[in-house]
Amino acid sequence: MNNDVVVAITDLRKEYADSVALNGVSLTVRAGEAVAVMGPSGSGKSTLLNMIAGLDRPTSGSVVVHGTDLGSLDETGLALFRRRGIGMIFQFFNLLDDLSALDNVALAAQLTGTPASQARKRALELFGELGISNRRNIYPARLSGGERQRVAVARALMNRPALLLADEPTGALDSRSGEQVMDLLLDLNQIGQTLLLVTHDERLATRCASRVVEVVDGRIAREQSLERTS
Amino acid sequence: MSAVWSAAWAAVRRRLLQTIVIGVVVCASTATIVMALGLLESAAAPFDRAFATQRGAHLAAAFDPAKTSDDQLRKAAGQTESAGPFAQSTLDTSTGEIFKGTLTVAGRADPGGPVDRLTIWEGRWATAPGEIVLNRAPGGNGRTNLGFQLTVPGRPTLTVVGFAHSVTGSADAWVTPEQVEALQPTVLQMLYRFPNAGTAAEVAEGQKSVTAGLPEGALLGTLSHLTVKDKATSELGVFIPFLLIFGVLGLVVAVLIVANVVSGAVVAGFRHIGMLKALGFTPGQVMAVYLVMVSIPAVAGCVLGTLAGNVFAKPIVQDAVEGFGVTELSFAPWVNAVALLGMPALVISAALVPAIRARRLPAAQAISAGTTAHSGRALRVQRWLSGTPLPRSVSLGLGLPFARLGRSALTLAAVVLGVMTVTLATGVTMSITAYNDAVRPSYADRVEVLAGGPPGLPVMRNPEMGEPPAAALSDADDEKMLRAVPGTAAVMAVSQLETEVAGGTQNATVLFYRGDVSALGPRVLTGHWPDGPGQVAVPSRFLNQRGLSVGDTITVQAKENRTQLKIVGVVLTNNEDQIFADWTALNVLAPGTRAHAYQVKFTPGTDRASFTAAIGKGDPGLRVLPPRDGSSSTAVIIISASVVLTLVLGAVAALGVFNTVVLNARERRRDLGMLKSIGMTPRQVTVLLSTSMGALGLVGGLVGMPVGVAVHQLLVPAMAHAGQADAVDILMDVYHAPALALLALAGVVIAVLGALVPARGAAHLSIATVLHNE
Ligand SMILES: Nc1ncnc2c1ncn2[C@@H]1O[C@H](COP(=O)(O)OP(=O)(O)OP(=O)(O)O)[C@@H](O)[C@H]1O
Ligand SMILES: [Mg+2]
Repeated sequence: MNNDVVVAITDLRKEYADSVALNGVSLTVRAGEAVAVMGPSGSGKSTLLNMIAGLDRPTSGSVVVHGTDLGSLDETGLALFRRRGIGMIFQFFNLLDDLSALDNVALAAQLTGTPASQARKRALELFGELGISNRRNIYPARLSGGERQRVAVARALMNRPALLLADEPTGALDSRSGEQVMDLLLDLNQIGQTLLLVTHDERLATRCASRVVEVVDGRIAREQSLERTS
Repeated sequence: MSAVWSAAWAAVRRRLLQTIVIGVVVCASTATIVMALGLLESAAAPFDRAFATQRGAHLAAAFDPAKTSDDQLRKAAGQTESAGPFAQSTLDTSTGEIFKGTLTVAGRADPGGPVDRLTIWEGRWATAPGEIVLNRAPGGNGRTNLGFQLTVPGRPTLTVVGFAHSVTGSADAWVTPEQVEALQPTVLQMLYRFPNAGTAAEVAEGQKSVTAGLPEGALLGTLSHLTVKDKATSELGVFIPFLLIFGVLGLVVAVLIVANVVSGAVVAGFRHIGMLKALGFTPGQVMAVYLVMVSIPAVAGCVLGTLAGNVFAKPIVQDAVEGFGVTELSFAPWVNAVALLGMPALVISAALVPAIRARRLPAAQAISAGTTAHSGRALRVQRWLSGTPLPRSVSLGLGLPFARLGRSALTLAAVVLGVMTVTLATGVTMSITAYNDAVRPSYADRVEVLAGGPPGLPVMRNPEMGEPPAAALSDADDEKMLRAVPGTAAVMAVSQLETEVAGGTQNATVLFYRGDVSALGPRVLTGHWPDGPGQVAVPSRFLNQRGLSVGDTITVQAKENRTQLKIVGVVLTNNEDQIFADWTALNVLAPGTRAHAYQVKFTPGTDRASFTAAIGKGDPGLRVLPPRDGSSSTAVIIISASVVLTLVLGAVAALGVFNTVVLNARERRRDLGMLKSIGMTPRQVTVLLSTSMGALGLVGGLVGMPVGVAVHQLLVPAMAHAGQADAVDILMDVYHAPALALLALAGVVIAVLGALVPARGAAHLSIATVLHNE
C-alpha cells in the first residue's frame, strides 16, 4: 500500500440559501484507504461527497483530488475530471431506464470515446467479475435492487477511477443485498481501490472501512481508525 | 375547493418555466389564430366588406340629359336610396407621356352621401375649378401623383389634388359640379341602393322601379354591382387562395402546439399527481388541480394573444385586402369571440385527455410513471443506437424521441407544418418575383427615352418635368446616336397606334418594335416574334377574351388604314389590350411614323447618370425617364405577407420544440444529472438534447419540404387562374436543387433554434440540486 494523498480537503465550507451544510471540514484520504463517513441526517455527508466529486462548488476552502485543485476547473474540466478520476455510486442507482444493464455500464466508457464494441467487452468482463453476467441484457426496471446496485458499481469502475465514491450504496437495499454490495466494495478496496462511502449502518462501516469519519452539523466531530473485523 | 386552488397555485408557481411556456405558446397561437381567422374572413369577402363600408351602389345608371332632367330622375327614384344625378363627362386622354386611358369624370360636390361614400386616402376633395380627384385603390401607385396636371386639348387644365376610391367604380375621376359643366358633360349619372340586390334579377327589378315613368331612351346604360364585383375579385382574387392556405396553416399549427404543450404539462405532472393522491386528494380533485394549473397561464395567454392579434395582425391583413378598398379594417366580432372562447376550450380539452388518465391512475403507479413510458420499440432503438459508432451524446439524443412517441409526433407535426409554410412561402415569393420580372422587366440595366408624344394625342403633364419632349434629330439619326453612346448594349425603337380590332368592342394598342427586340422586347411564350408586315404577337388574355388562337387572323383599323394581321405568337405581358407587331407593319398602317420612344440597355458597370447625360448631349430634345420601379404593389404585398407569416409560423413551431425540450429535460433531469456525474460535459448534454430535436427537425424537413412543394404546385395554378396570369410554367418552375436542400434543412434550423436555449439551460443545471431534489 502506498501513502499517496488522493483527496486533500482544507477548511471546506458550503452554504445554501437557508442553511450551512458544511462548516469548515478538513480531511485527507490516502490511496488504498476505505473511509466511511457517518453522521445524522442533514449533517452534510452527501454535500461533502458532492464537493469531492466536483458536482457542486464550495463556498470557501479547497478540494484537491489527485493533485488537481477542483476550484481551478470549469464545468467542462470538472466533467472530464469525473470521467477519468471518479466513480460514483448512488443510493437510488441512477441507471438509465431505456438502456440494458450492459449498455448502462458501457455508456461510461463510450463517453470517453471508447468504441461501442470495446466498451461492451470491458463491461462484460466487469459483469463477470461482479457475478451478474446473466443479467447483462435485462433492463433496470426488471432487476432487483441488489442487482441494480451491482450494475451501478460496474459502471463506476468502468474507467478504472482512482477514487470510488458511494453515497449510501446500501440505503435502498434489504440487509442481505446490502451486505453483498458491501462485500463487493470491500473486495475492491482490498485489491487497492481507494473508497469513500457514506453510510448510516455502523455495522457495515466497521466491517469494511479502515477509518470512520463522523460528521455532525457540517463539522467533523470524530475520526477513528479501525482494525477491520473481516 | 380551496385545497384544489392552493395545490394548483402551488403547482403554477413551482413550475414557473412551464407556466410561462404555456402562457407564451397560447399567446402566440391565439395571435396566430386571430390573424388566420382574420385572413380567412377578410379574404372571403373583401369586396363585400368594402362595399358595405362605402354603401356601394347596387346600380350605377347613365341617363341622357337631352331626354330627362335632374328633377325627373330624383322623382323616379322615389324612396329608393340614391345619389345624383351627377353630370358626367368623358375625357379622351390617351397613351401619352403618362399612361391614362379614357377618363370618366363626374361632377360631385361631396364625396359622402347616402350611396357610394368615397374614401379619400390621399390629398383632399376637389373644391375649386381646375381641381380633379382620381379614383384609385388605396396604396396603389401609378405614374401620376398629387400635383400632376391633366391637359386635354380644348378643355381646361386639371390638377390632381387627391386620390379617392369608389368600390363601385362609379367614375374614374371627380371634379366640382361647376367644373364638370366646362368639360361638356354628356351623361347624367345616378347611383342606387336597393333593399334586395343579391341576384341579377333583383337588380333588374330595382332598375325597373327607378326608371319607371322616365322618357323613352333616357337610360343610356347601367352597371350592376355584381359585374363590378366579378371584375374586382378576378383582379385581386390572386390573393385569395394564398391567404386561405396561410389562414388554415396558421390555425392548424397553433392548435397542434397548444395541444402538445398542455397535454405535455399534465403528463409531466404524473409523479406529482401520485403524490396528491397519496395526500388524500380525490380523483376529481386531482383532475381539477391540473385543469386549473394549465388554465391560469392559458387564460392569461389567450387574452394577451387576442389583443396582440388585433394589434399586430391587423396591419398584415389590412395590407393584403387594401387593394379592395378596405381602409378601416376591424376584425368581425366572431373572430375575437372564437379566439377568446375557442382557445380555452382547446386548452381544456387538450388537458382533459391526460387528466382523465391521471384521474384513473393508482397513486403508486402515477408516482413511478413520472419518468418515461417504455415501449419495446424505444428500447430496441436505443439498443441499436448504443452499438453505432456515433458519439454517445448523439446516439442517446437520437433515441430520446422514441421514449415519448405521442409528444414527438405532435412536435414533428408542428415542424412539418413549419417547414411546409417556409417552403410554400418561399415558393410563392419566388413565383411572384419570377413572374414580375418576366412581365415587367427590370429597369435596372436600361433607360427609357421619350422622343415625343404620338401626334395629335393629349398628354398628362407633370409640371416638374417641364416641356414635353420633342426630338431634334430624325428617327434614324436618333437610333444611330443612341447606339453610339459609350456603354450601349442594345436599342429598341417603339411606336404605337390605337386601333380598332374588328369583331371586338374593345380597342387595342398596337406596339411596334424595331431593333434589338430579343434583348428588350417581351418574352415569347409560344410561336415566334413577328418578323414580317402581316404578323402580330398577342398576350394570351387577348386570345381568351376574343376566342382566338395562334394562326388566326385579325383585322385592325388605324385611322383610315386597315390591315390584316396573322397571330404568330403569344407573348407575356400584363396588359391584355396590347398587341405587338414588327416595324414593317407600321409602315403599312401609318407610313412615315417615327419612334416616339426608345429603350436602351447599357452594359454592366455603366453609370446611369453619365449615360443619361450622354444621351441628352446627343439629342437635347429627347427626355430620359427616371428609372421605373419594377415591382408591382400586389407583388410587394404578397411577398411581405409571406415573409411575416413565415416568421410567425416558424417561430410558433420553434416554440413547440422549445416546449418539448423543456418537458423532456424536466422528465430526464435525473438521468441528465447522472450522466453529468459520470463525466458528461455541459456541451455533450446540449448536444444530446439538441440532437434529439435536430433529428425530428430533419425528418420534419424531409417530409415538410415536398409537401410544401406539392401545395405550391396546387396553389399557384389556382392563383394564376384567379389572376388570369399567363405563363404558368414561370410560376411553377421555381424550386431548384440548392433551394430545396436548404428548405429541407429549415426543419433542423427551426428545431435547433427551439431546442438550444432549454438544452443549454438543462446542461448547466447543478447536478447536486437535481440529485438532492429527486
Ligand atoms: N442543493 C441543495 N440546496 C439547498 N440546500 C441543500 C442542498 N443540498 C443539501 N442541502 C442542505 O444542506 C444540509 C446537508 O445536506 P446533506 O444532503 O449533505 O445531508 P446528509 O448528511 O447527506 O443527510 P442524509 O443522511 O439525510 O442524506 C441539509 O440541511 C440540506 O437541507
Ligand atoms: Mg445524504
